[in-house]
Amino acid sequence: MPGLDREPFELFLIHEARLLDARRFRNWRDLFTEDGYYWVPAAPDQESPEDAASLFYDDRELMQTRIDRLEHPRIHVQTPPSRTVRLVSNVTVEAADEARGEYTVVSNMMMAEYRLDRQRLFAGRQTHALVRAGDGFRIRWKRVDLINCDSAFEAMAVPI
Amino acid sequence: MFDGTPDEISGLVRPGQVHRRVYTDSDIFELELARLFGRAWVYVGHESQVPKPGDFITTEIGRQPVIVVRGGDGAIRVLLNRCAHRGAKLTSEPRGHADRLTCLYHGWAYDLDGALAAVPVPEGCAAGFDRARFGLAAAAKVGAYRGFVFASLSAEAPALDDHLGQMKANIDDLIDRAPDSAIALDAGMHRYVYRGNWKLQVENVLDSYHVPFSHASTVNRKGEQFSRREGDRTGAKVVAQKKTSDAWKGRRSYVTGPGHGWTSNTALDDGKRSSPSFDAYRKTLADKVGAARAEEILTPQYHNSMIYPNMSIMGLNMHVRVIKPLAADLTEVTIYPVRLLGAPDEFNSRNIRLLNVTHSAASFVQTDDLEAFRRAQEGLQSQQSDWVDISRGLGEERPDTKYNAVGELATHEMAVRAQYQAWVEYMGRTG
Repeated sequence: MPGLDREPFELFLIHEARLLDARRFRNWRDLFTEDGYYWVPAAPDQESPEDAASLFYDDRELMQTRIDRLEHPRIHVQTPPSRTVRLVSNVTVEAADEARGEYTVVSNMMMAEYRLDRQRLFAGRQTHALVRAGDGFRIRWKRVDLINCDSAFEAMAVPI
Repeated sequence: MFDGTPDEISGLVRPGQVHRRVYTDSDIFELELARLFGRAWVYVGHESQVPKPGDFITTEIGRQPVIVVRGGDGAIRVLLNRCAHRGAKLTSEPRGHADRLTCLYHGWAYDLDGALAAVPVPEGCAAGFDRARFGLAAAAKVGAYRGFVFASLSAEAPALDDHLGQMKANIDDLIDRAPDSAIALDAGMHRYVYRGNWKLQVENVLDSYHVPFSHASTVNRKGEQFSRREGDRTGAKVVAQKKTSDAWKGRRSYVTGPGHGWTSNTALDDGKRSSPSFDAYRKTLADKVGAARAEEILTPQYHNSMIYPNMSIMGLNMHVRVIKPLAADLTEVTIYPVRLLGAPDEFNSRNIRLLNVTHSAASFVQTDDLEAFRRAQEGLQSQQSDWVDISRGLGEERPDTKYNAVGELATHEMAVRAQYQAWVEYMGRTG
């Protein structure tokens, strides 16, 4: 969007990525609004999470169940845990409603994940629907379209 | 060198034991592709995936690529995905629609029944070239039961009806839940891959012993798993006083036919099960089949079913699972959410959403199984012992007249032993 300073949006996405890399999952969850959701489709151009399978489609309640498990001492698929680093780039604000404080932000992401002598790479385009909250933002929804979303994956434990 | 003589095959399986080589040896894996996947009825797809003439999906029987295609006559055929000319695959798409199957290489074109319809530059064909001899090869046998399509590459396979036997009741249990008495596998899919042998997944499907341990991270402080089925207030009671709960220990497993089996239903909220979408579904079903029959259908008897060697149905988070061996130490699995035709969209949607968190590659449940499969494959490299123990409950198997099967406690290992009995029968035949 012309005339809109994209830096606050970029800094917010970087902040979110750092929380996930630091495994501060509860803080990450708190970025979402109470009715917020997190969606990673399992097919390219998937229209809805309601009528087809998704890799992730968590509302706050499922997010909490996921985080409880990630913090459980006997989550075998995270013993030892993954180490991740996320890059966020090509950030643009695609839509803005300044009066309501609502923004749609599109960016490219990459996540390198290392665990048990193996490293793998996830790459995709992510869309954040943000709403202004005080000095920052909260996430109304986040969608990550991985370029290989319909491939067969080895186990994934941490959110993208 | 392993030649796969009947003696060598039967020597790999003892009462309550199986040799570690069946998981790790690439010679044995090649023999499995030829003798087991080359002979058995293999699940290849569901009719709802090819609803119209010209619709096709592609898959493999063992390693052999096939096209499951609905012809202009409405019949479903299973054609080898290999041009009869120089052998190129006719399509690499997982699914699609075509009036003809045309090879990208030299343009040979086939009708949907596999007949060679056209050859470019026909005047160059050798004298005596007979188009009728160059159709696509087809699976020797194709059959379907209530929409599930199976194929065998062996003309000597028994009738599908006999092969499925008692497992038809498992399929009925799922499909009868649909108010329209039909299901569709058209709600996308989950795909995962693991660095382990295919039989680790096949064994795991009917293994109730591992749940409190492998899936500890899904169990809350009250010993209950998170709710996995729409309308239940909680999930299954798995743990009590830090041990496997009596409710869980009471689960049963059954085996029948060549390697097939199932585990009994998990005790959940049946009777009290309720939510807006479940209640709407129950009413829709009752309006179709009557209240008494609806209650009978909604008291499922089957939890997990295995139709050996490559297909499984789960009745709890309703899905169909297809297991594809890629190498001795590499396996791919596809999970299709089941959509009950005639049920309210919201109810089907809840099943799809719960399946995301139980069986996607990023789920809470399946991922710990994948970790177990990977570690088993690595551990089995150890030569400390050549034998894997599968003896729990050995000698306690009893015929069950209600189900016309053999029954045992599901935390025992009867189902694994039955799978290896079938494995020896398929693998031990050399002809």
